[in-house]
Amino acid sequence: MKNLIKALQAHPQAEEYKINIHKKESCELFYVMGKLETVRRTDTCDTEVTVYVSHGAYKGDAKFFVYPSTTPQQLAQAIDEAVARALLINNESYELPAGDGTAEEYAVESNFGTYEPAQLAGAAARAVFSAEAPEGTSLNAVEIFINRHTETVLNSRGLHRTQVRYDAMVEAIPTCSGEAQSVELYEQLRFSSFDAAQLSSRIAAKMTEVKARYSAAAPTAPLTGSVVLGAQELSELFWCIADDAGYAAAYGQTGVFKKGDAVQKEPVGDILGITMAGAVSGSPRSAAFDADGLLLGSIRLVEGGRLVNYYGSNRYGQYLGEVPTGVLECICVDAGTADAADPVQGPWLEVLSMSGLQVDFYTDYIGGEVRLALWHDGGNVTPVTGISIAGSLAEVLSGIRLSAQTTVQGGYCGPEKAVLDGMKIF
Amino acid sequence: MSFSVFLESRRAAAKALVAELKKNFAYTSVLGADIRARSVRADKNTSAISPGRDTECGFVIKLSNGGAFFEYSLDDIAGDASVLAAGITDAFRLNEELLADAVTGALPADEPLVRSFVRENDIGEFSEQALLDFCTQQKDALLAKSENVRNAVVILGSIEVSKLFVSVNRELDQNYAWINGTMWVVYQSGERVVQSFDGASSHRIADVLAQLPALQDKLLKKAQMLAAAKPVTPGVYDVITDPSISGLIAHEAFGHGVELDQFVKDRALAKQYMGKYVASPIVNMRDGAASTLSAASYFFDDDGVPAGDTQIIKDGILVAGISDLASAAQLGLAPTGNGRRESTRRKAYSRMTNTFFEKGTDKLEDMIASIKHGYMLFETNNGMEDPKNWAIQCVAEYGIEIVDGKLTENVVSPVVMSGYVPDLLNSITMISDEVKITGAGSCGKGYKEWVRVSDGGPALKVKVKLG
Repeated sequence: MKNLIKALQAHPQAEEYKINIHKKESCELFYVMGKLETVRRTDTCDTEVTVYVSHGAYKGDAKFFVYPSTTPQQLAQAIDEAVARALLINNESYELPAGDGTAEEYAVESNFGTYEPAQLAGAAARAVFSAEAPEGTSLNAVEIFINRHTETVLNSRGLHRTQVRYDAMVEAIPTCSGEAQSVELYEQLRFSSFDAAQLSSRIAAKMTEVKARYSAAAPTAPLTGSVVLGAQELSELFWCIADDAGYAAAYGQTGVFKKGDAVQKEPVGDILGITMAGAVSGSPRSAAFDADGLLLGSIRLVEGGRLVNYYGSNRYGQYLGEVPTGVLECICVDAGTADAADPVQGPWLEVLSMSGLQVDFYTDYIGGEVRLALWHDGGNVTPVTGISIAGSLAEVLSGIRLSAQTTVQGGYCGPEKAVLDGMKIF
Repeated sequence: MSFSVFLESRRAAAKALVAELKKNFAYTSVLGADIRARSVRADKNTSAISPGRDTECGFVIKLSNGGAFFEYSLDDIAGDASVLAAGITDAFRLNEELLADAVTGALPADEPLVRSFVRENDIGEFSEQALLDFCTQQKDALLAKSENVRNAVVILGSIEVSKLFVSVNRELDQNYAWINGTMWVVYQSGERVVQSFDGASSHRIADVLAQLPALQDKLLKKAQMLAAAKPVTPGVYDVITDPSISGLIAHEAFGHGVELDQFVKDRALAKQYMGKYVASPIVNMRDGAASTLSAASYFFDDDGVPAGDTQIIKDGILVAGISDLASAAQLGLAPTGNGRRESTRRKAYSRMTNTFFEKGTDKLEDMIASIKHGYMLFETNNGMEDPKNWAIQCVAEYGIEIVDGKLTENVVSPVVMSGYVPDLLNSITMISDEVKITGAGSCGKGYKEWVRVSDGGPALKVKVKLG
């Protein structure tokens, strides 16, 4: 590190620089039909250097990687090449975030630090395989990833920050087999705090769902009613809004919405409110700072159904004359008024698994193929499959009713369920 | 461009490490990768020359004594091989408790093979200044074409791959490149904003630079069409798929379902259909890094197995799957050269490479003329596999309505195509006589493990649900 900084400071044209170091240690377990098939360990470190060169009214930048094997001569050549490349880039000028030269350390909330990665991977495996499983169900494939990330950002303006983050991912394939057929569902759980009982419980819930899929059939008559989506699909829906509202999208005019625009036109359901945040308790996407070293807080993105702010990186925030928020990886959606357990008066389709929700603000479309749903009609609940849903995104958002109960799933914190009216089920 | 100097400098270390590790593991291999990916980009307000997503430099060690596999990913293998080998071996001692219930399977084959492979390319013939100038000129030309173009983006993405594979009996190295050129515009018509994409790809930059300018008018025309597009009325239609949508069907409907690690996990319905009809008798389908020259064409896979060319469906009958080393060992089959990793830091799985339907005998105009009312679908957006239950979802950028055997001016977008795989494949009644393969895609396994793939085929006439 010292040699790298020395080499950068010695270069006459490398006026400014940033160094990002990412050390990753992992333990990964891969199970096939309940038996261990592969054990993986990783111990790697990436060092990415960005050189900034001001020329005329412009500022150019160029990145390169430094490896443990990089010799002093190769490093000098890489800096020369990066400077030459940066001089080709005519971007608007901006300032790097500044620090006072102090090496600051941050720990992102997690209880993983109390375990060795291999120990935690083993504990996660035991929790997964001890989940209650209805007769005929099994886990045909399970993958467990336990990661520890140590990330450092330092730059030529005295900023020097390090954070330790943990994340885990469990991919499980609950399967139900019988004489008639064998069916499966897909589950991907991401978390940064380990709770064996909760992990077992979530896997058990999916095992119950796959049992339902076994008996599910395509409806014999058209279904008409409300569609109720769960947190996975809601996350996809609301991230589409957030992705459209980044500083980079606003600067590049690639987004659909401008500040002040109604994301939710003529709302008749729950009024949308969305906050972007750097950290949410339990989210594996939580971070103390972003790749530029900007400390992350939160910002209100949507208020009263309207886009009220953009958010994003240091550079694009400055381009827009806004205060850079940093790249915020967690989206928090306000709770609504519906009861997640009993959200609709009339008949409704509770979507449990989709091939992927398609959301397109450009063409006003929301829909996709439903792999498993429960059709609630009066007191009857029937598992159904082989159907698709489609509707107008604007109409759906206008009438959306969000549950009062919330959950954290990946980078999403918000209602567990939402009721969508006006969707065609076919 | 030539084989990585860095990897060459570690060849002896790789051999020494294999020699040390084989004292404890009957199967031992070292894969080293030095991948230089670069993105040259220009849009209305900014430009950039940056390392691409696939950039990496590192190693992965793969070990087995039969049964379970052990993999260790690290940055470098220089130094005392006995010390490094001891550290790697120790890392897996931590998991002895877990190993009590491991898979059983034969030791992977490691037949002797020593070869070097090179595919010449022209990346070194173009300066970064020249490539950035090209992107800037194309971007300016796109912006000048219409006041409705809010932004235009032009990207030249290149990847230069060097890989070294050393096992007890094998020593392989390969060096090749691929280039994707992409253009897209943000187009506004009234209050409606749409995005329109197009691109070209090749193993030579010169080809991509020659093709992109010719695509500009098509790109703008498509943007205008998308701005006027309406949603499709949900229902079941007769449909003609363009080659990219045919490729998406090949990929999602059947490609994932014949990845043989899914057979081992009992995750693929196709397992029960080997040797049986799974499609109309006029359907033939292949996959292989050696099947054609495209984005997923390499000389050996990440398990050190030579590239293959696998016929998956022959005359409508499912005849073979595609495998990595581990799944082939567990199934007692020869690996097909489809063991691929996102990077040396990720596991190898059975993965598709270049996947496509083979051509038929019909003329496209006859296929369109045969439809009373339906759609022709164009250009892949995304898709999702479900190999266990044979459901399929494929999303096309747009479709054009066919009425009384003729393409109309009516455009629908986006178009989500869904259904049951055997129904879809058995509904194929006509196949055009020209094949096109698109080499700009990426494929995940589930929702992760991204690798570069290509897919394609001829136009197909199918009956399918659109919504």
